[in-house]
Amino acid sequence: MLSEQSLNPRIGAALVVGGGIGGMQAALDLAAGGIKVYLVDSRPAIGGVMAQLDKTFPTNDCAMCTMAPRLVEIGRHRDIEILTLSDVQSIRGQPGNFHVTVKKRPRFVNETKCTGCGTCVANCPVRNDVQPLDVPRVELEPAYRDKVAEIVRRHRERHGPLMPILQEVNTAFNYFPASVLSYIAQETGYPFSHVYRIATFYNAFSVVPRGKFVINVCMGTTCYVRGSQRLMERFSDTLKIKPEETSPDLLFTLKAVRCIGCCGLAPAAMVGDTVYGKLTVKEVSGIANKYRGANGHGQTHAG
Amino acid sequence: MAKLTLDELRKKRAEAQKGIYLREGEFRGKIIVHMGTCGIAAGARGIVAAFLEELERSGTKDIMVTTSGCAGLCSKEPMATVEMLNTPPVKYGELTPDKARNIFKEHIVGGTAVAAYALGMGSERGA
Amino acid sequence: MAARRIELMLCTGTGCVAGGAFRIKQALEEEIARHGLPDEVSLVATGCNGFCGQGPLLVALPEKIFYGWLKTEDIPFLVQEHFLKGRPVQKLMFTPPEKKEPIPLLGDIPFFNKQMLLVLRNKGLIDPEKIEDYLARDGYAALEKVLTSMSPEDVIEEITKSGLRGRGGAGFPTGVKWKVCRNELKTPKYVICNCDEGDPGAYMDRSVFESDPHAVIEGQTIAGYAIGAAHGYIYVRSEYPLAIKRMQIALDQAQEYGLLGENILGTGFSFDLEIREGSGAFVCGEETSLIHSIEGKSPEPRQRPPFPAQVGIWGCPTVINNVETLANVPIIVTRGAEWYSQIGTATSKGTKIFSLVGKINNTGLIEVPMGITLREIVYEIGGGIPGNKQFKAVQTGGPSGGCIPNSLIDLPIDYESLKEVGSMMGSGGMIVMDEDTCMVDVSKFFIQFTNDESCGKCTVCRDGSDALLEVLTRITEGQGMSGDMEFLEELGLAIKDGSMCGLGQTLPNPVLSTLKYFRDEYEAHITEKRCPAKVCKNLIAYWIDPQLCQACLICHRECPAESIYGEKQMVHVIDQNKCTKCGTCLDVCPPRFSAVKKLSGEPVPAVERGIKVERKKKPARPEQEKVQV
Ligand SMILES: Cc1cc2nc3c(=O)[nH]c(=O)nc-3n(C[C@H](O)[C@H](O)[C@H](O)COP(=O)(O)O)c2cc1C
Ligand code: FES
Repeated sequence: MLSEQSLNPRIGAALVVGGGIGGMQAALDLAAGGIKVYLVDSRPAIGGVMAQLDKTFPTNDCAMCTMAPRLVEIGRHRDIEILTLSDVQSIRGQPGNFHVTVKKRPRFVNETKCTGCGTCVANCPVRNDVQPLDVPRVELEPAYRDKVAEIVRRHRERHGPLMPILQEVNTAFNYFPASVLSYIAQETGYPFSHVYRIATFYNAFSVVPRGKFVINVCMGTTCYVRGSQRLMERFSDTLKIKPEETSPDLLFTLKAVRCIGCCGLAPAAMVGDTVYGKLTVKEVSGIANKYRGANGHGQTHAG
Repeated sequence: MAKLTLDELRKKRAEAQKGIYLREGEFRGKIIVHMGTCGIAAGARGIVAAFLEELERSGTKDIMVTTSGCAGLCSKEPMATVEMLNTPPVKYGELTPDKARNIFKEHIVGGTAVAAYALGMGSERGA
Repeated sequence: MAARRIELMLCTGTGCVAGGAFRIKQALEEEIARHGLPDEVSLVATGCNGFCGQGPLLVALPEKIFYGWLKTEDIPFLVQEHFLKGRPVQKLMFTPPEKKEPIPLLGDIPFFNKQMLLVLRNKGLIDPEKIEDYLARDGYAALEKVLTSMSPEDVIEEITKSGLRGRGGAGFPTGVKWKVCRNELKTPKYVICNCDEGDPGAYMDRSVFESDPHAVIEGQTIAGYAIGAAHGYIYVRSEYPLAIKRMQIALDQAQEYGLLGENILGTGFSFDLEIREGSGAFVCGEETSLIHSIEGKSPEPRQRPPFPAQVGIWGCPTVINNVETLANVPIIVTRGAEWYSQIGTATSKGTKIFSLVGKINNTGLIEVPMGITLREIVYEIGGGIPGNKQFKAVQTGGPSGGCIPNSLIDLPIDYESLKEVGSMMGSGGMIVMDEDTCMVDVSKFFIQFTNDESCGKCTVCRDGSDALLEVLTRITEGQGMSGDMEFLEELGLAIKDGSMCGLGQTLPNPVLSTLKYFRDEYEAHITEKRCPAKVCKNLIAYWIDPQLCQACLICHRECPAESIYGEKQMVHVIDQNKCTKCGTCLDVCPPRFSAVKKLSGEPVPAVERGIKVERKKKPARPEQEKVQV
């Protein structure tokens, strides 16, 4: 019987598209198997992203140390032909027998003569400088201006100013209005993306408005074992919001926290600085009413 | 306040120690002033104050002054019992602040019971 | 201060404050004034006493009479009887459950007398907001000794000899860490005190801050001297407002007295401290992550080495120590390494503070020598399990630890033995679980926690915990399949291997240890669709026993889902389709009837509506029954 291979004889060479670390290894493995390889990369050099890294995860190995031997080997290998600045235009055929068209872009440098001395780079009058975008200065709304400016001023000169600033602003407004974050980024010189990352990392921060009273129901181990799940459900029922949500009147936010350090009083909840310990499901509505009352509307706790 | 030097720190510490001796928990003896309603009416509060004053003046640290209920001998109030370690307790009756001071000097500091005011030695329970 | 005859040590730790300690304080002050006693009786607001389960509480000196569960109404009587007339009030004393006789003296209460106080030596004895109180208890004597008679190398030598190991979890020898940092050439150097305490169920670091902040300052200053640092940070989580406040007061006082700052005590050594707050991220307790957090970087851990002792905050050599580790330092310096190293076991020296919480009679903070057995902790100090329930397991080490089963109750507690049984010391949370705790649910709880808190840097930790959670959730919902347990085990080991920081490396521990010791519970969930502890909602049903129901209508009224049929004289029936399994009916059913039952793994017997109640004897006006929830 004729094997599949004899019907579709594999002829010619292999083509590897992309000269990153994966492509390089593939090319080397193929070449080691005696196959002629074309290694195509659209950039001016092979190496890919790894060439830009200092260390690689998870072993923290030096990226260049992993790559360099392969780069050298590929450069020397007789069966590997490197096609840089090249794009694959079309592929025809089927597995085992492809016809690929590759278009090579001009390099404007004679590769056979170039010694890689770098003089041209140093002397080229056109620089690849990044032109900063014309970002308009952020002006804060009057509601935030003075307070935020004052907080930023107080901490700006400190070593590591970002956390203290964010903490104070978060305490002052209960959340970060977007303009305030941009303002902090501008004033401290951190990129906005970084400030935003920090502002969304910590549980105590929020980028959406939160209620005047944040009800923290402890979901730490002890409280959990002692039934805080049911407290949470009851709070959720009473306030008509789900955990991590804020009531439409901006009065309450319901939050699960992981241990407030009152495990002796489990199950516990904390509103502001006030801790409620040994809570039972029955007390929940009383607590909610107390804060409703404290805000001047709604009914106060009867009796 | 100015920063402390080593000597000043030691001085401060010694001074602070006077304030907390009750918490150290080692006592050589105990003065119990009986403060039932009868005792208070007869002036037991003054006796307590007198003992405390003496305690402070002498800088003694290992004596505790406590109160207890009526000793059952209301006619002899105000009364106090002095219990020094390893000696039988002594009950004193019909005290005045001056007598209290005397007891403090002679019995507590000096170590000999003041027979003149003593009602009896040893406890009725024999403890 | 004048001599007094009574000192009242009122606990004002967070626990007792939540119970109303400040109201008690006010009431006491008023009553004492009313009886004209202010010259004889003084009131001291101390930090956490430890016996948090009894709070609000006070200890009356000099006899050390312990009063717990105080209410403001009790105060007038207490002041008049005890503090004026000298008759201690029995009904406010501690009475162990199932006993009648109260135990008046603090020293006689088993919760206290089994403990050994080194770090907590000042707990309940000083006012944490007064530096004088700390000084009086030989405070800053260790600093004095170090600055006047010891070289930094001597200090490190002493700490090394004492055998002190880090109390933050991993148990790294503190002396070695200091030495590495001292030997680094780069300056300046820093000392950081780690009070992030993210382990749910542990609160000893908070308690130390609240009851004895100066001990930490002193220890940290000594650490600074030993490694050659001039500046330090105290990193506290923002969930601890009272701890932050007291520490700030203590710092201000130490600065005022010149115990911090330039040229301390005229010795030429300068050292300063600053508080930085965390904002609620568990991973920030990890040392490299903590450093990033202070620096204002994205608080993800990084690969070690280099260790923080080599390259730490602002790129400088940094020693990070746990609160308890630092609080151990002064006492080691004053009493000597020799003395300290006699306490504990061969490899773990000294004492450890545990927070004994959960299903246990005496909840609170305990400090015990290393090597004490679990049995002593649970049954002697903890006073056993409430309600005569069966002890099932102790969870130690927080989300990184594991569950230690009943069969290992004679295990001596130290770093190595805990590790051996698949748990770890962690920061010292000890959560006691009884027969009503479902181990599958608990391990799901921990994975939920770590899954939430994973910073997302490592794929295995981020996605692996997702996968674990998915399987565990499925099992608790009754959708478990055969092969699930093997999958959990395999994935757990893979996560351990593939994660970079301690969070990922230890995250599977709760699952692996419960799989090891409570395999039968997993099997019951998966094959029988039964939750033995009757916790997992999808596997249980509430049912009213028609033989026991006395038609009191309470559950009918209280049911939030209105799923209980009930009429006078008629047996109540739960509509299983409407029931949300909130458990309210079980709570409110009067204990005399106990008609509401939880069922699991068996069909719910059908009960017709309209069956007349079988009266055993006429219950006394059940409608006005006061119900204890
Ligand atoms: C996920 C994670 C959380 C941690 N949380 C804490 C913590 O809350 N408190 C603490 O002192 N150490 C914590 N640690 C340990 C610290 O990384 C560090 O080992 C410790 O602070 C060193 O101090 P020590 O030598 O005194 O124990 C945590 C570690 C990990 C991996
Ligand atoms: S677990 Fe809830 S306060 Fe600690």
